Amino acid sequence: MIALTTRPSWNAASDALARWAIVCVLAILYVIAIVLSDAFLDPVYIGNILRQAAPVGIAAIGTTLVMILGCIDLSIGAIISFCAVVCAVLMAGEARNLTLAIVVTLAVGAALGAVNGFLVVYNRSSSFILTLGTALAIYGLTQIFSGGTARGIVSPGFREFFNFRIAGVLPVLALSLLVLTAGAEAMLRTTRFGRQIYLIGSNPEAARIAGLPVAGVTFACYVLSGLFAGLGGIAVLARSGVSSTFTGRGFEFDALAAIVLGGTLFVGGWGTVVGTLAGALVLFIAFNLVNILGFNYNLQLVLKGAIIVLASAAYARLGRDR
Amino acid sequence: MAAGRAAAITIVRHASISWLLAVVVALALLLVPGFAAPGNLANVVTQASALGLVAIGQTFVIAAGLIDLSVGQLLGLSVVLTCALGQGRPELLLPVLLAMLALGAAVGIAHGWMVNRWRVEPLILTFGTLSILQGIIFAFTDRSVGRAPEALRWIANERVFGLPASGLLLVGAAGLAHLLLRRTRFGVRLLATGNDPESARRAGVDIARVRMLAFVLSGIGATAGGLLIAGRLGTGYPNAGQGFELDAIVAAVLGGASLAGGRATIVGTVAAVVLLGVISNALNLLEVSAFVQTFAKGLIVVAAILATRARPAGARRPAAATAPRAASGIVGR
Repeated sequence: MIALTTRPSWNAASDALARWAIVCVLAILYVIAIVLSDAFLDPVYIGNILRQAAPVGIAAIGTTLVMILGCIDLSIGAIISFCAVVCAVLMAGEARNLTLAIVVTLAVGAALGAVNGFLVVYNRSSSFILTLGTALAIYGLTQIFSGGTARGIVSPGFREFFNFRIAGVLPVLALSLLVLTAGAEAMLRTTRFGRQIYLIGSNPEAARIAGLPVAGVTFACYVLSGLFAGLGGIAVLARSGVSSTFTGRGFEFDALAAIVLGGTLFVGGWGTVVGTLAGALVLFIAFNLVNILGFNYNLQLVLKGAIIVLASAAYARLGRDR
Repeated sequence: MAAGRAAAITIVRHASISWLLAVVVALALLLVPGFAAPGNLANVVTQASALGLVAIGQTFVIAAGLIDLSVGQLLGLSVVLTCALGQGRPELLLPVLLAMLALGAAVGIAHGWMVNRWRVEPLILTFGTLSILQGIIFAFTDRSVGRAPEALRWIANERVFGLPASGLLLVGAAGLAHLLLRRTRFGVRLLATGNDPESARRAGVDIARVRMLAFVLSGIGATAGGLLIAGRLGTGYPNAGQGFELDAIVAAVLGGASLAGGRATIVGTVAAVVLLGVISNALNLLEVSAFVQTFAKGLIVVAAILATRARPAGARRPAAATAPRAASGIVGR
């Protein structure tokens, strides 16, 4: 009996440690950042870091759901690029096009996600190689559509709205990241759909036998991944104001890094959207720290790699990987 | 009956990429003006050779149930270092050559060590090292540096008895790799490990060693590919390796390798590399824009996966396609 009662509580402690590890890392990194530079005490600067993290962070929300399912989506970088170009072209520099452009862009993102979802559900093959293939096709579409250069002009007021600082501190774009993360986390924790994602991810065969709609949930998660990538495309456009063909190139792996840092496992059944946000913030605070300390971009790349390797090693150590 | 059917499926699946290649080459010979010119055919082979070396290495890693995303940047690092250290001086050729192969092996050992010791997911591990290698390249230089040794330029660009030297090199490497995968104990153990690591371990396979060697082969394939690219470019271009990792994975999978591990063929991988090269060359000759080519490549990948991989739920992989000693049944990841 003692064994029965102590083992689970030990496991619970280990679980809690794994769950909150990234938040602890984020807190420690932030304290280090403050010691090294008092810029990190300035709320406006924190707002800037959040705004910087918004495109990757928002896109990573949808991919987190796919990863909890035990699948992967490597096409979000391509979807971000395509959606950014579509959005800029539809806006065509006119304020009256704004709503239509955003609605159509999100529909395009969701539709591309639906293509991925259909292929994965129908084929039951590796989602890795399928989404790699659709990523290539979507990059091709983006190039054909844009002619290989920056195309489209954002509406007046578009960038101003997303970069407006609420109370002079928090940019709307940063707030969007926080709200979308909170919404997705609430959806995962409180809705039936959210619980189904975890159940299917932890054991697809058992979920199928238990009568869960595995195909439907998988499809829906890919649609959401495409939709959030569309939102990420709009966020990129709001930050930079220009849409080039390769706006989102490499974002899929940055998102993957944030997701893995946040404690989501490749095997599925485990992960949180809040963890993903914390993972993205760890990466971006580290990048800013490198900049502030006067090192160049190369060190950012090395640091990013080292953080990813060490963090995944640490998670494996916590015993959650096998 | 079942065994015969499985064997038939295996033959069709392994042969399909070669048939596809034959059909595409025949179509290109008939329909694409200029494709049949000897110079053009040599060109296709020359351009395929570097990717071929990288993809052969990747095939070993995938067969073991792993993946290596770092090969593109490792190739880039090898291009830059070969030219910067060699400076086109003939007496430095051999030391540089050995140093590059040692570099590939060292990166492979590091990957193997981390996967074995820390149990890190290889996808995320090698994405991390991709980033680190890229940082190292750009810390070293942000523009083209140095000069490739003459001998490398010769191998990458010239012909022996009318055949491209780099193509002969690829054929030789593919032959060795094929024997290693099909005719040695290491090959059997590699496929067994990829098929089901736990059963392989119980059967007495040192799976840590197998995984380490797979990464070493992948690293060496990448730096060897870098030597060829250095010879072709003639100078150390820091972005030379961009995208090689994904092309190599696509080639291995089109060639019949399963990303779940335990199934792969060198012949299939090389056929897929040549197929990608032929398609790209034919589209170039037809003056199809690079944009449409990217789109077409994506469609080809998806279509090929749909054509060869569709299988009903719960279907097992044909036993004949995996290693004889592997316990069948459990499909990885």
